[in-house]
Amino acid sequence: MNSHPTQIALHPKRTPRRFPITGPHVVFTLTALFFFFFFALPIWETVNGAFRLPGGGFTFAYILEVFRNPIYLEGLWNSVLMAVFSTALTVLIALPLAFLTDRFLFPGKSLFSALILIPMILPPFVGAIGVKQILGQEGALNALLAALGLEDPAHPIDWLGASRLGGVVVMNALHLYPILYLNVVAALANVDPAMEEAAENLGCTGFRKFRKITLPLIMPGLFAGGTIVFIWAFTELGVPLMFDFQRVTSVQIFSGIKDIGGNPFPFALVAVMLVSTVLLYAISKLTFGRASHAMMAKATSQGGPRAIPPLRAWLCTAAFACITFVAVLPHLGVIVFAFSKDWYGTILPNAWTLDHFRAALGHDLTLPSIQNSLKYATLATLVDLVLGVAIAYVVVRTKIIGREILDAMAMLPLAVPGLVLAFGYVAMTQPGKMFGFMDPKIDPLLILVIAYSVRRLPYVVRSAAAGFQQTSVTLEEAAQNLGCPPFRSLRKITIPLIAANLTAGGLLAFSFAMLEVSDSLILAQKQQDFPITKAIYELYQLLGDGRFIASALGVWAMCFLGVTILGASLILGKKLGAIFRV
Amino acid sequence: MISISIENLVKKFGTNVALNGLTFRIEPGELFFLLGPSGCGKTTLLRNIAGFYIPEGGRILFDDDDVTHLPPHQRNTGMMFQSYALWPHMTVAQNVAFGLVERKVPKPEIGRRVGEALESVKMSAYAARKIAQLSGGQQQRVALARALVIRPRALLLDEPLSNLDAKLRLEMRTEIRRVCKEFGLTAIYVTHDQKEALSISDRMAILEGGRIAQIGDPQAVYRRPKSKIVADFIGETNFIEGKIIDASHGKARVDTPLGIFAGVISDLDWRPAAGEAATLSVRPECWRIELTRPPQNATSGRIGESIYLGEIAQYQFQPPAGPGLKIFELNPDLTRRPQDRELYAAADPDDVVVLRK
Repeated sequence: MNSHPTQIALHPKRTPRRFPITGPHVVFTLTALFFFFFFALPIWETVNGAFRLPGGGFTFAYILEVFRNPIYLEGLWNSVLMAVFSTALTVLIALPLAFLTDRFLFPGKSLFSALILIPMILPPFVGAIGVKQILGQEGALNALLAALGLEDPAHPIDWLGASRLGGVVVMNALHLYPILYLNVVAALANVDPAMEEAAENLGCTGFRKFRKITLPLIMPGLFAGGTIVFIWAFTELGVPLMFDFQRVTSVQIFSGIKDIGGNPFPFALVAVMLVSTVLLYAISKLTFGRASHAMMAKATSQGGPRAIPPLRAWLCTAAFACITFVAVLPHLGVIVFAFSKDWYGTILPNAWTLDHFRAALGHDLTLPSIQNSLKYATLATLVDLVLGVAIAYVVVRTKIIGREILDAMAMLPLAVPGLVLAFGYVAMTQPGKMFGFMDPKIDPLLILVIAYSVRRLPYVVRSAAAGFQQTSVTLEEAAQNLGCPPFRSLRKITIPLIAANLTAGGLLAFSFAMLEVSDSLILAQKQQDFPITKAIYELYQLLGDGRFIASALGVWAMCFLGVTILGASLILGKKLGAIFRV
Repeated sequence: MISISIENLVKKFGTNVALNGLTFRIEPGELFFLLGPSGCGKTTLLRNIAGFYIPEGGRILFDDDDVTHLPPHQRNTGMMFQSYALWPHMTVAQNVAFGLVERKVPKPEIGRRVGEALESVKMSAYAARKIAQLSGGQQQRVALARALVIRPRALLLDEPLSNLDAKLRLEMRTEIRRVCKEFGLTAIYVTHDQKEALSISDRMAILEGGRIAQIGDPQAVYRRPKSKIVADFIGETNFIEGKIIDASHGKARVDTPLGIFAGVISDLDWRPAAGEAATLSVRPECWRIELTRPPQNATSGRIGESIYLGEIAQYQFQPPAGPGLKIFELNPDLTRRPQDRELYAAADPDDVVVLRK
């Protein structure tokens, strides 16, 4: 033996020159601080506000009052119903569609795959304008039914009035099913076809096979997407607001904010909402998400979609076409409405005009709001890209203790209602607080950019992390070996290689920032600071042709975001689903 | 051309000790192999030398220059990765030029040296290609050119041939040796393929559990393994347990269930006493099969299973007592081997290695 293990002490430990450690540690500390101040602190502010007496003492009274007050209780119950039904309807829409895409070839498949995110390019509350035009008592559907002689024009059916909750649920589901669809498609693509073949070989086929084999295997993906949909629906503010559905918690909070100085009940409601979110998440995790079956490595056989007889293939196409059509109905409604002179009690408007677009451009709310949104969203996207790459690098490429915590924190904004954060930001920027200098009443730029970037960060972190994981670290090591310092290796080798991921993540962050509702409605308080969403909301409430102008602005935003999202889905392809995971 | 000295090197991952106090020296211009079963620490050692790991203890010297804590990009080593680690967003020429660009070599010289490097691995025609357009063997050549073009102090090769098919492996391993000798490089080559090591190395170190089991040239390691682990890892062998009868001057006689065998003690630090337990290692090709009983170092038995492979035959030889023996015969003629009668297997004392049990 040539080794001398006992002589290690001969060379006493020298002062360590730990060259690769310092950079990541700095990044870790900075990002952790960012999260502490702009994620943990606002949540704490909100929760804290729910338990503080005006004098400073501690109290449970507000929380108890929430549960004693029948109006708040009804709101909470409606929120739960809204979330449960929206999620259920989303699953019913997304699961069959995802299955069809994964298994079969049919005409127009690539077109529908490219269009899948279209429902997401409109803030659902804008879509609600279109829905009202179509489903309202004097809407297009009733006019159509009357024209066909199926309905008495004197007694039109009140489709929306019959159930405000129903309208909100349908709107939510039509808006959110792409998230679930993408998750399930990604999960299905990972199922080893041999697993299903084994089941068939043992005599288990058809729906039974789907229920006993496929469904359990895709459960993690289904759960991941379902969770986002659930939380999104539970805390949705825009849609119920547009349907004038006052008895839900989110709207009650929004209404309560106007007198934020004195009223503790918005705080209490937000705290209750946060706890309910966590509770509901825990319950559903225990019920559905418990068994996450790790797929063994890679599929052993190539499955891939197969050709089916023409009739059945066209049925698949029809299913997609139907859903897509229904999903874009609100968009169509908004577009038609924006071009119409008047649209009341007829199938299509009687007369068309471009005036609303002209008026929209001329209105003193519009142009500044577009400028503002571009400014906020661009800055937020930049912050996200820098933070996202840094966090993904630390999480994937280093072994720093606590990196898993950083990873989890970066994903948490997906799980925390936007309303909770928005409210926390308001609270922490009150004059006199540490971040009082960011007071949105004076200039909301800083706090809005931060709010947007925190909420969209998960998309960028996920896509950057996916890039880092797919890019072997030896590529960077090879550069270092040839004399390239670590940071430059990252910049010259890895960043160009993951540019597609970063572009896609950045585009998504940007578009969702443009569409942001909760932060925008709550934090932008002066007219010259309004972003597009708040401008649309304000325009909508104007008497006269406010609704038309709001729709015109909505159409403009739609075109803009349609292009960005289409770009992202072309760049990322199937991987797009991985971005919407908790 | 530099020498590389490893002194008491210790590397730990958590509580797991990957390198347990290694000490050895690689001579200037040597093609040195690190060999061992997976998990023995050979890649860990190479990555310490390249600078991707910082050891917990000990030193690494390039000549007299202590590089233990030097970052990888300042060590001036050329490394060839198992996966080649070629950058897919650059062309062949850009990949090879990268190290020179980092060193701020003037443009005309970069062009010239990249041309030369591609020439030396016979890849000049592919300079403008993207990496994805190359076959595995071509990628391997580009990776070699990229490591060589910077005129590294040492060439580090991490299982460079493991992704190639068998025929290409044979071709490339002589190619690598040719290039190393032509450039006069000190090279460290990690592999688990003993054929690669035996065929082209100057010297090799067999690692086992983070320690060095043996260092030597191919013949020494193959013919005189110092431990059962080395004998078992390099080549095939028959182990026969027994007790020392007498031992002197590096030779010993051992009493085994197969009879008394004389052999050579390979570990010179070991001076066994009479009666001490020992293990004989006899390579399958060292046995001769005889029809009559030889005077010494032989056992009787019958041929059981036999596998005919053309140039050799592999027999399972069963003595009346003790373990079965694996025997290889060159240029076999099975028709001369009656299955049903007793034969004799004999080994030259110089081919019998006496090891610690």
